[in-house]
Amino acid sequence: MSMLVQFVITGLAIGMIYSLIALGFVVVWKSSGVANLSLGQLVLLSSWFTYSMLVQAGLPFYLGIPLVVIFAIILGWIIERIILRPLIAQPILSLITVTLGLAYFIEGIVVIIWPLSQAYLPRFFPTEPIHIGSAVVTQEYLWAAVISLVLFILLSLYFRYNRMGIAMRATADDQKAVQACGIPVTKIFSRSWMFACVLSAIGGILMSSIGGIRPGLVETGLLAFSVVILGGLDSFVGAMIAGPIIGLVETVGSGYLANFIKWPEIRTVIPFIIIVIVMCIKPYGLFGENRIERI
Amino acid sequence: MDLPAGTRNHNYAEDMSIFRTKTHWFLLIVLLVVLFTAPLWFGNYWLSVANLIGITIISVTGLNILTGYCGQLSIGHAGFMAVGAYTSVVLTTRFNLPFLAGLICGGIMAGIVGMIFGIPSLRVKGFYLAISTIAAQAIIIWVIRGWTDVTGGYAGLEAGPASIGNLILKSQTAEFFLILTITIIAIFAAKNLVRTRVGRAFVAIRDNDLAAEVMGINLFRYKLTAFFIGCFFAGVAGALLAHTNRLASPEYFAFTNSVLYIGMMIIGGLGTTIGPIFGVIFFQLLNVLVTKLSPALQSAFPHLPGGFTSGIAPTLFGLAIILFLIFEPRGLAHRWQLFKSSYRLWPFSY
Repeated sequence: MSMLVQFVITGLAIGMIYSLIALGFVVVWKSSGVANLSLGQLVLLSSWFTYSMLVQAGLPFYLGIPLVVIFAIILGWIIERIILRPLIAQPILSLITVTLGLAYFIEGIVVIIWPLSQAYLPRFFPTEPIHIGSAVVTQEYLWAAVISLVLFILLSLYFRYNRMGIAMRATADDQKAVQACGIPVTKIFSRSWMFACVLSAIGGILMSSIGGIRPGLVETGLLAFSVVILGGLDSFVGAMIAGPIIGLVETVGSGYLANFIKWPEIRTVIPFIIIVIVMCIKPYGLFGENRIERI
Repeated sequence: MDLPAGTRNHNYAEDMSIFRTKTHWFLLIVLLVVLFTAPLWFGNYWLSVANLIGITIISVTGLNILTGYCGQLSIGHAGFMAVGAYTSVVLTTRFNLPFLAGLICGGIMAGIVGMIFGIPSLRVKGFYLAISTIAAQAIIIWVIRGWTDVTGGYAGLEAGPASIGNLILKSQTAEFFLILTITIIAIFAAKNLVRTRVGRAFVAIRDNDLAAEVMGINLFRYKLTAFFIGCFFAGVAGALLAHTNRLASPEYFAFTNSVLYIGMMIIGGLGTTIGPIFGVIFFQLLNVLVTKLSPALQSAFPHLPGGFTSGIAPTLFGLAIILFLIFEPRGLAHRWQLFKSSYRLWPFSY
């Protein structure tokens, strides 16, 4: 029983981080129709950058984290300006492939600059574990959940009330109409990439504060894909709800299935099995919109 | 097809022929002679590179039929190669099937698995399909790693050498001839496939699948056919890779390979038969260059960061994919076309 509670809590908390990273995907997909397959690599890159700031440069926490966020913003701007801008209005195949190329590129850069296999960030959160009933949960999980929730609320407020946020939603709805209104669409694309990078940076910091920085962080990108597939590609709410579900299934499922299926690493395929199931039953996800095409 | 001035087709056979003029035939024969005498003047190292190039061309040709012609993006091609490789190795070692039968069974098995994972393509496309093929890759590799009784798990499965009848192809030269022959057959088959009814249906589906359906093309049948054919090529390539390396190991079929195959296809040129050849040769030569050059650079410039040797290859590959997509999205095949037409029209290019 205490095992179950522990699995549920950690699963929900990790799932919130997946939601956060998945939101970065959804923002870009909605505004510019680009499927960003380099999410995991962005997470990895910003985690290592955080390591550089906090450990190698020895900056204090309150200085290092803002620097990471600024780095993420610049990264997003560069990616959009140099790589995605020339490819506007290209077929979806090119847009997917270019992000795969970017993913490969970032992975190489990470290996070149940080040739370590593993590293740990200094601990930001109080180290004392919390007892919930008979379960013991480290505080990192709870803080991660809280931070993700706060960011999600801030983001939804931004999209609801800020002028730029409203413009971004409008672009998602109808790009041509937005252009006709005189809103610079390229600026919105660039903004959405900044959001994606910042969200994956924060997701990366939270993930690596829990499990350290490993090459395995790339797999959080794959998990984020399963979140967006389950929630629906163009739905913020979907991503936010699907994240904890994926996290739950991942931890609870792998925790219990490990007793029945002796094949190793069952944890790594659970998100893919979810993807296949969702794809067969409800391909546009829980909250996704099935756009009707015309010839 | 562009023909030199004054060449006229008087019957359908002439119109359909791939090699039309005497120059075409002459160049083809020269190329074949050069290829089949290659072991005489290639060293062992270059021969192994050539073998890898041949195998990769087969696989990327399959991917090109699936993605370049039919428009169904697959990021799990290495996974389907693994299916073919393990099927062939298990059949030849456990059930003592002859090599060629194993090769074809491997291809068919990969095709069937590909069709299963291609079923979502009937309802979804674009990114959704890409993700479901990534899932295919991950699940296939996981099954291979877990099902140790059959596949040998992480350690892999030892494979016998290729053989035809009583002839056992053990040396690298013999393998080169085998791979070369199969590669030529594969390219020829692909070239002709896309000129048939099936190939034209694929192109119609790629350009607009709704319009294709309205025209009377059975989407269900043709999309699954595309998956079967594309994955059949992959399975054959995987089986060849396993038998020439004497080992089927999950490491040969990693996810990064799937991404690289797409990169090769893009760089070569989507939807052309010649594209995969250019793309694969470009990538493998870049790979050779990097593996030869980076240790030398590392020792010459000690200020380079420590991960330079292992990290430079993915960086350059990623950069190549990005740059080609931005500056030449039609790939090297388009450059080749430009070169050919400028040659044909020279010196009066108007």
